Amino acid sequence: MSGVESVFDFALAGLLLMLAIGALHAPRLYVCVMLFIAFGLVLALTWARLGAPDLALAEAAIGAGLTGVLMLGMLARSPQEVMEVSRRVLSRGNLAVWALSGLVLVMLSQVLWRGVSGLLDGPVLLPDMAAHHQEQTGVDHPVTAVLLNYRAWDTLLELVVLLLALLGVRQVRLSRERFPAPWPLLLAWTRVLVPLTVLVGGYVLWRGAFAPGGAFQAGAVLAAGAVALRLCQVLPPIRWQQLWVRALIVGGLMIFLLVGLVSAGWRGGWLAYPSAWAGTMILLIEVAAALSIATILTLLVVGEDEELWP
Amino acid sequence: MNYAVISLLIPLLTALMLLVTRSRNGWWVIGSSTLSLSSAAVALQSVMHGGSQWLNLGDWESPLAIRFHLMPVSALLLVFTALIHLLVSIYAERSRHSQTKRTDFWPLASLLHAGLAALWLSNDLFNWYVTLELLGLVSVALVTISGPKAYGPALRYLLLSLAASLFYLLGVAVLYGRYGVLDLAVLAELTDAGPTTRLALVLMTLGLMLKAACWPLHLWLPPAHASAPTAVSALLSALVVKGPLFILWMLWSRVAPSELAVQAGPLLALAGIMALIFGGWSALRAPYIKTLVAYSTVAQLGYALLALGLLLYWQKPELHVALWLFVLAHGLAKVSMFLAAGEMQGALGSKRVRGLKGATQTMPVAMFAFAVAGGSLIGLPPSGGFLAKWVLLRELLLQPVHWPWAAGVLLGTLISAAYVFRVVTLAFDRANPTRPSYDPDRFAQWLALLPAILVWGMALISRPLIEWLTGVTA
Repeated sequence: MSGVESVFDFALAGLLLMLAIGALHAPRLYVCVMLFIAFGLVLALTWARLGAPDLALAEAAIGAGLTGVLMLGMLARSPQEVMEVSRRVLSRGNLAVWALSGLVLVMLSQVLWRGVSGLLDGPVLLPDMAAHHQEQTGVDHPVTAVLLNYRAWDTLLELVVLLLALLGVRQVRLSRERFPAPWPLLLAWTRVLVPLTVLVGGYVLWRGAFAPGGAFQAGAVLAAGAVALRLCQVLPPIRWQQLWVRALIVGGLMIFLLVGLVSAGWRGGWLAYPSAWAGTMILLIEVAAALSIATILTLLVVGEDEELWP
Repeated sequence: MNYAVISLLIPLLTALMLLVTRSRNGWWVIGSSTLSLSSAAVALQSVMHGGSQWLNLGDWESPLAIRFHLMPVSALLLVFTALIHLLVSIYAERSRHSQTKRTDFWPLASLLHAGLAALWLSNDLFNWYVTLELLGLVSVALVTISGPKAYGPALRYLLLSLAASLFYLLGVAVLYGRYGVLDLAVLAELTDAGPTTRLALVLMTLGLMLKAACWPLHLWLPPAHASAPTAVSALLSALVVKGPLFILWMLWSRVAPSELAVQAGPLLALAGIMALIFGGWSALRAPYIKTLVAYSTVAQLGYALLALGLLLYWQKPELHVALWLFVLAHGLAKVSMFLAAGEMQGALGSKRVRGLKGATQTMPVAMFAFAVAGGSLIGLPPSGGFLAKWVLLRELLLQPVHWPWAAGVLLGTLISAAYVFRVVTLAFDRANPTRPSYDPDRFAQWLALLPAILVWGMALISRPLIEWLTGVTA
């Protein structure tokens, strides 16, 4: 590792820690949220630096972008006194508490270190096996092969988890904030940006077959574009009551299950794709899943004030 | 094996169908639970004759694929889950207090069913993490459907559940880094008692105990379970807390090296005794009827934890039977208790225990169900609760050195008798009883009684049940 690179890495690590402490302890909630968004962006940079550009994209789109919009929306709806309350900044007084927590921290990190130091020479059994079967999976990228072929069942259940997040939010019956009229610069900028998100999202999805990328990242990027459009009131309201919205949301899971059932009928193994068709089936699932994920994330952030009962 | 997978897929597909069509008709879920129950029964039948079965998802070879493992215990749990879902669905469709018409109760309940089935079948540490997330989110969503009063407890439940998931996930990451596999059966042959394994097991156990509401990590459970609608409380108490318990049991009885298990056993058993005593004490003092029933869940989980701890401590396979008998008996009894409590609370118009004054006169069937289920929780013979306690006590009483543990169990029994009789004596106080606000629903009360009768019926098949469980869990 060259000197410049290690300086950059240490700067990133230090910045992450400082932003995290700042986000937890800043005196005003608004500042906390801003620092949290910045933390997400630096974390995305860190992932990119660690050689995981797909994680970096997802972190930037979800961790910084969509979560940031959610938190700012929450702040806008909170009463003024919650926003302005001057929270207790790190108290300097109680020395005993500080000493005790320092001691506990040292002991815990020692235990953690003893446990984790055994990981340095861990076996690499599964990556080797995964590489060995790569040709039969229908894709060239090991991560995509794990996500959609070797461990497709995990991914299917993750889609259910995402669906449940939306259903959970629906039960709370949030009243959505009314958006102010967009200012011209924002509107113009969004109109330039959104076609790019569609392009990037589509590219990331297609690229998943042979390089880092895939449905989750593509869905997150697409959702970011849709949220920006909705905030500028270019898109009409998106509601659960619309059939196409529900079809898109459930579609990813439906296609996934359908492929599983077809493969079970065809070859007698659950989620076992015939290797000649594996690439096509995975692409089909990924497209449906990306659309599902994009719709769910969009609805989570800017879904309309909706009636739960039909 | 295919029937077990079908039993998992039916509720999942039903949930998706209900979401797309926005149907609020409970008969779909009743039908899907019936189908799921019958295919789970076929799976149980095939396991009883053919022994446990494996299914490699995606047809990959063993450590690479996620494997489903259909053991006798998991087949039994599949049947149990489908049965309880069927009972609760019929109740929820019929009852006036289940808030199914204006919420997403039906798809959420189906997703809960599918998530539990996925958990029982799985045999993979990371896949279990996903199912735990699924269970946590669906439970929180189900708690929130009872309205703004439940948001506080639901939010606390969500945050603690996420923290627990992170602990568990960190433990899984450490184990994967050390041994390079996630499949439980493969991992079981590799583990040593080094500091890395120790750290991973501590992290995972903390996470799972928090999720299963084991003492002293139980404080989120009573408000969450008490503020949910009645049908949801029954599902949460009877089924959801058993999921993490199942993983805990698999982890310690399969993966943990025996020297670590022997060290951890007494701690778990002690936590079990504490849960019995303090959970029971809180139930005795609870002002609200559903809080009382929820605290009784905390106390009853103590028995399961005690059985788990002692079976690890003494390496006695007979105690596996006690653990699973407790789970089954408690699940059935708790469904009955929550449904009866919900009916009485709704009809008598008071959430307080005091509101049940004279309930034997005004709502005799519901009160009877409460008392009968309570009898099983106390462990009166010949109920399912008695069977479980008998299997546990037989081991404890054989040797005088084990008698302190037996004293703990008896103390717990005494306290559970106290909180059940607290309600029952009040219900027999017929002078000036609380009048129902409207005509009590007879059918719903009989439905509440049904699981209580089932749990007493476990006594009829006690001998084959104990012998079979001994054969398959040893």
